[in-house]
Amino acid sequence: MDAIVASELSKSFGNIEALRGTSFVVKENEIFGLIGPNGAGKTTTLRIVSTLISPTSGKVEVFGHDVVKEPDKVRGILSYLPEEAGAYQYLSGMEYLRFMADFYSHDRAETDRMIENAKEISGLGDRLRDRINGYSKGMKRRLLLARALMMKPKLAILDEPTSGLDVMQAYHVRESIKEYADKMGVTVLVSSHNMLEVEYLCHRVALINEGVVIADGTPAELKARYNAINLEQAFMEATQLG
Amino acid sequence: MGSLTSITLKEIKELVRDPKILFGVVLMPLLLFPVMGSAIQVSQQSVERAIVTSTFAVYTDDSGVVTSTMLDYLKTNRTVSVIQANSLNQALAQFQGMTSSTMIYIPSGFSENVTTGVKGKMIIYGNIKNMNIAETQSTNVVGTLVNIYSYYYSIARIDSLLQAAGEVANPDAIRTPIAIDYQSIIKGNVLNISPDAIISVVMNQSIMLPIMIMVMVMFAIQMAATSIALEKEQKTLETLMTLPVGRLTILGGKLAGSIVIAVAGAISYMIGFSYYMGSAMSFTQLSTVNLGGAGIGIQPVGYVLLGINIFVTLVSALAMAISLAVFADNVRSAQSLTGILIVPIIIPAIILMFSDIDMLPQTFQWILLAIPYTHSILASKAAFMGDYWIVLRSIAYISVFTIVVLYIAAKIFSTERIITARFTSRNLSDLFKKRR
Repeated sequence: MDAIVASELSKSFGNIEALRGTSFVVKENEIFGLIGPNGAGKTTTLRIVSTLISPTSGKVEVFGHDVVKEPDKVRGILSYLPEEAGAYQYLSGMEYLRFMADFYSHDRAETDRMIENAKEISGLGDRLRDRINGYSKGMKRRLLLARALMMKPKLAILDEPTSGLDVMQAYHVRESIKEYADKMGVTVLVSSHNMLEVEYLCHRVALINEGVVIADGTPAELKARYNAINLEQAFMEATQLG
Repeated sequence: MGSLTSITLKEIKELVRDPKILFGVVLMPLLLFPVMGSAIQVSQQSVERAIVTSTFAVYTDDSGVVTSTMLDYLKTNRTVSVIQANSLNQALAQFQGMTSSTMIYIPSGFSENVTTGVKGKMIIYGNIKNMNIAETQSTNVVGTLVNIYSYYYSIARIDSLLQAAGEVANPDAIRTPIAIDYQSIIKGNVLNISPDAIISVVMNQSIMLPIMIMVMVMFAIQMAATSIALEKEQKTLETLMTLPVGRLTILGGKLAGSIVIAVAGAISYMIGFSYYMGSAMSFTQLSTVNLGGAGIGIQPVGYVLLGINIFVTLVSALAMAISLAVFADNVRSAQSLTGILIVPIIIPAIILMFSDIDMLPQTFQWILLAIPYTHSILASKAAFMGDYWIVLRSIAYISVFTIVVLYIAAKIFSTERIITARFTSRNLSDLFKKRR
């Protein structure tokens, strides 16, 4: 079964057209990258898939559930990490994880297992006992990523997961996504404007520009199609051709 | 743990652990009011001490017997400095150089006038140097002492006149022949208490309730606005909205958390305020009139109805605050936006604290009655007087209003407006452009 089927999505905010007929398919258990420059429509697409906003027209199904007609079912199987997301600063890391886990299960043993997963993914150890307002940006992002993956969602949606992080922190976050997505069998939809990062992380990618998907395929296919040495060059070629 | 409980507990933790909320809302009233009350008490005690230990000056142009016995009487109560001067102007010049703030001037012929049945006139000068209460109070103390002397002199004079006339009567009854006993009728009960005393007690007690409701609602609005704005400011709202939990549960959790903190803030405020009133008003003679027997005061059923009234008032204010705060990006702009709500809460509270709604012009009454918070205050007064029908009517009106506001809040929560709505100066200018 396909994890996500997005067909002819369009979305307008007043006079601004953020999406103009975006379509793509994400297969189960793959890491799929949505790449494009700032303002291309990546975040709007991810917000529609995660049920936060509705498309002006078009349709999205997540594991067969329509995001507009069955939002509760979709929310039960996905986990969304927004760009620049924060955490409740007056809670400790552990309290935050427990708060989040309680929405997915009322069984204490099950929520304990989720928190153990989160501990492992975040690598924060005893710092999880500290209040979040004492965390660095990288620590917060690792905590949030752990929160997004700890319950082994069928679909994890990660919007610019390494945005604003330094090289070391970005590396750790990328490694965690790659390792745990494979290990836990989670389908991941990730957006980024860092095309080299996506090339490293994703099984398949879609290039998005001005609200439209202009090309998709594996990084190798896209590079071959546009005779490029990396995805960045492929994107430039695709926008010129598109 | 259920999702509602989980969100409520999270809200409480977040709000209580925020130093601004903890100190500003919960701890500050407990600290600030007692400090203010103690400061006022200290200043009052010094004024009282200054009055008790005050001395006063006397300059007299009369050497008659009445003057001399009155001075003896005054000297037994206070330290009196007799000014030696050649004229009143000279005496006044000396008086201004003295520490005393009060001077009695007894003109020539005073004693003769008093003994021959003509009113004896004297002048009491108050030297206002520092513009403080002690200066005026010591003038009043001298006036009171002279009045006491005047009373006993008149009683003695009446007694001697009666003896001379061979009549037997009570000199006090002759001096004040009519005595008035004030009584009040409340709800068919005749009470041996003056209407003034009853109104004073009712005002003292019924004013506290509107103040408490007003304070609690204002705290609640602040809490709810902060609760939503914090989610936006900390960028946690989007995550919360994608969790497998109903939007109404999130709204309910936020309302419940805000109510708990608002109630804690209101209790803290009222404890602090009571301490302040107790300290600041310790010098006044508070009435100890007991009105329980007259059916005035809140009975158990009144407490229940009042509780329901306060609850629906709180929920409506919170739902309004949340609906507005959704349009703000951060805590500061949320509090500015919800500041608008404080106006319809304060205005009826202040007006109804000092007057009755029936005393106001008809149009003004209708305007006030359209504001739901007017009904909260009317209900608190009505519960005090045992008029439960008015309390029930208020609960019904506020409940209908609350349901409408909750419906709007739920609508906003269930749409993407919660994520996309932004209150900026540009939004406003766009709005006005569209109107044009």
